Amino acid sequence: SRPAISVTARDPPVGHERSRRLTSVGCNSVEKKIYVNLNYTVPCVRLLNATHQIGCQSHLSGNVGVLHVLESEENLDWVLHSGLTPPYLVILESSLFTRYSEHTLKNGSSRVAGVAVVTPNANPSQGTSPHTSCPNENTGVYTENYDPTMARCNVTVWNPLGTGLSYEEFDFPIFAMKEDNDTQVIRQCYMDHNRAGNGSTPQYPLCAMQLYSHMSAVTDTATCMRRNNINFSLSPEMVCDPLSDFNVWASTRPLNNTAKGHKEGESVVLAAARLDSRSFFFDIAPGAESGVSGFVALLAAAHALRNATQEAPPPRNILYAFFHGETFDYIGSSRMVYDMEKNNFAVDLDNIHSVLEVGQVGLHAESRLWLHSDPVSRKNSSVNEESAASGLNVSVEEPGFSQPLPPSSFQRFLRARPIPGVVIEDHRSAFTNSFYESMYDNAEYLNISYPPDLTPDEQLEYVTDTAKALTEVATVVARTLYIQAGGAESRLGSINADPQMVTRILYGFLVRSNNSWFQQLIPSDLVSHLTDRPTNFYVGVAQQPGKPTLLVQYLLANLTGIVVSDTCFNNCVFVLLPQMYSYLWVQGAAPPNSTERVGFCMRSAARLSKALSPAFDLHEYTSKDYSTWTESRWKTIKGRIFLVASHELEMLTLGVGVGVLLTSLMLTYIMSSKADILFSSGREPANATY
Amino acid sequence: MNLERVPNEEKLTLCRKYYLGGYAFLPFLWLVNVVWFFKEAFMKPVYTEQLQIKKYVKRSALGLLLWVTVLTTWITIFQRFRAEWGEVGDYLSFTIPLGIP
Repeated sequence: SRPAISVTARDPPVGHERSRRLTSVGCNSVEKKIYVNLNYTVPCVRLLNATHQIGCQSHLSGNVGVLHVLESEENLDWVLHSGLTPPYLVILESSLFTRYSEHTLKNGSSRVAGVAVVTPNANPSQGTSPHTSCPNENTGVYTENYDPTMARCNVTVWNPLGTGLSYEEFDFPIFAMKEDNDTQVIRQCYMDHNRAGNGSTPQYPLCAMQLYSHMSAVTDTATCMRRNNINFSLSPEMVCDPLSDFNVWASTRPLNNTAKGHKEGESVVLAAARLDSRSFFFDIAPGAESGVSGFVALLAAAHALRNATQEAPPPRNILYAFFHGETFDYIGSSRMVYDMEKNNFAVDLDNIHSVLEVGQVGLHAESRLWLHSDPVSRKNSSVNEESAASGLNVSVEEPGFSQPLPPSSFQRFLRARPIPGVVIEDHRSAFTNSFYESMYDNAEYLNISYPPDLTPDEQLEYVTDTAKALTEVATVVARTLYIQAGGAESRLGSINADPQMVTRILYGFLVRSNNSWFQQLIPSDLVSHLTDRPTNFYVGVAQQPGKPTLLVQYLLANLTGIVVSDTCFNNCVFVLLPQMYSYLWVQGAAPPNSTERVGFCMRSAARLSKALSPAFDLHEYTSKDYSTWTESRWKTIKGRIFLVASHELEMLTLGVGVGVLLTSLMLTYIMSSKADILFSSGREPANATY
Repeated sequence: MNLERVPNEEKLTLCRKYYLGGYAFLPFLWLVNVVWFFKEAFMKPVYTEQLQIKKYVKRSALGLLLWVTVLTTWITIFQRFRAEWGEVGDYLSFTIPLGIP
């Protein structure tokens, strides 16, 4: 008999013995030997509105295509017509992409499995904008009812370099990659396997790439919101979310925020700016000239006006408003107008005396600013520009001919009431911004450059030329606001924006948000939001305020508020009354001798208000009046490269496998039916019944 | 259950039960009826109850054919046109595929 295997309980080994045992265990993953995963991939995602879907879509199991590096237009013919192993996954430089994507690649989508765009480290020399040439044409004030001659950019095409690429629909995935190690690996794989040498066709196995970016939502917003809400399906799933974030607003004289609706005797000058931006790819939106220049000028103006409005308060209140989501059919401003109309905001539309909006002011061709106004509703010149700009290096003029307003949040206010107002821009008619809503609209485009060999802290404090020019603009804005609010002209000389402040804010938003100054202004639980990269201003779908929104709120609080001394954290956040002011606890700086930060309580009028399009509260998902933009949800976004075999080899392997199965089944059947002949060994056949 | 050892009256009762049960929107009972009693009804030598069993099997087969036609037609139409029906199509579905209309 065999010896029995005995199991005896033993004492567990002591700690270090156990770890020694574990170090000898290793593992090898077959998956890692086959696939090389890509680290940095930025997809283009699907967005939907009342009538269309835009963006890119891949199959549920990813799009696989044989790699092809497109160097020039001759190779395009290989991809679209003559290549022998479709579908291809095309890798190209971003300049080629803008030229060929819309018509050629999109039409050949049966042979194109996907596109990977390699973005250069420096901006291209030629300007190109993926946005439409007439931004927000359906939700502004210039409709056929208001003035048919001015609708649809008949008078001025605002964005002449716009190709509309961001608003096209692609049925293959498009990813963006940087020039880094992964791209080198991809090019090497292509050179080794896919390169057709001197007319001979490349042989299998070929290098292929697989991109996953399957989007759940489809058709339009009404369909996807309906599918979100279906109750009796087996597995209810959310497929899309509306684009929403928060607006930031503050006032020079505090307003009672719990008493909503019309405030008697309150006359308010609204100073507006835009926060957000976008690009063709998801979550990349530096928006330097499109958005940041405007709101930084307004922030600096708010800071410049702090003293003047405390010491010699003008008769009218000034309400600073930073709207989010303006890129997508004026989400933030339409929501604020709706709230004002429904008496859900601290003031009413009747309380607004006039509007001053700061648009794109970062590019300074000849140090000229232009005041745009609406020719239809305008009676007399509503803004006194000469005195505001006297003594500065900036000249302020009006365009001089009858031209509609550029795309601006002010248009949404005009839709509700004929309020006088002005939009300050740096272009006389069409945009001077040649990268409007593009991923190249960054610090480099605004010429923000620092001398080499500066530490990040030194860069933070260095006043660039761009910052100096933007400071002049901010001073003009501040002085104009003071006069609009009815302040005395004699005080104008003392209202000046601070270039140090402007350059720090520009550095924080356009170069690196994880700097020492921003760290002082925010509470400790927001420190993880700061990154070493430029801020991303895409509006997004989060229910909570996004990172740039919170940064702007804390900045505005710091620039217009005061410190409430002798207040501890609990008193600041939980106890003090929030009707007139908002109280924010910030972590502050560490005093010179210690490393512990000394926090303090900041009292200001800076608040957040929800920026969700009214179409979603009213459940009018096919609305033509309000923005209906939603973003689809997805499960995985990734890419990987591997070698593929030819289709014939795959079929052959499958055929051999099936053949082996059938053969073995047949053999088993034959052997089982002839069992008595094959396995007889002289014994009697089994007759016994069981 | 092995029909070899069941007496003929019980076979008839079984066949009738399955036939009648199929009328309660249970076409699978008819399918079972046809497959199980096919040999009994058409391939065994004649016995008294076989005529009735034949009748039930034939009627079950007819009902089954009707159900198959109706279901196939409806399923084909639904799969082909659900995307175009928009709202109605979504409310009729239990699981809606993601990412395609």
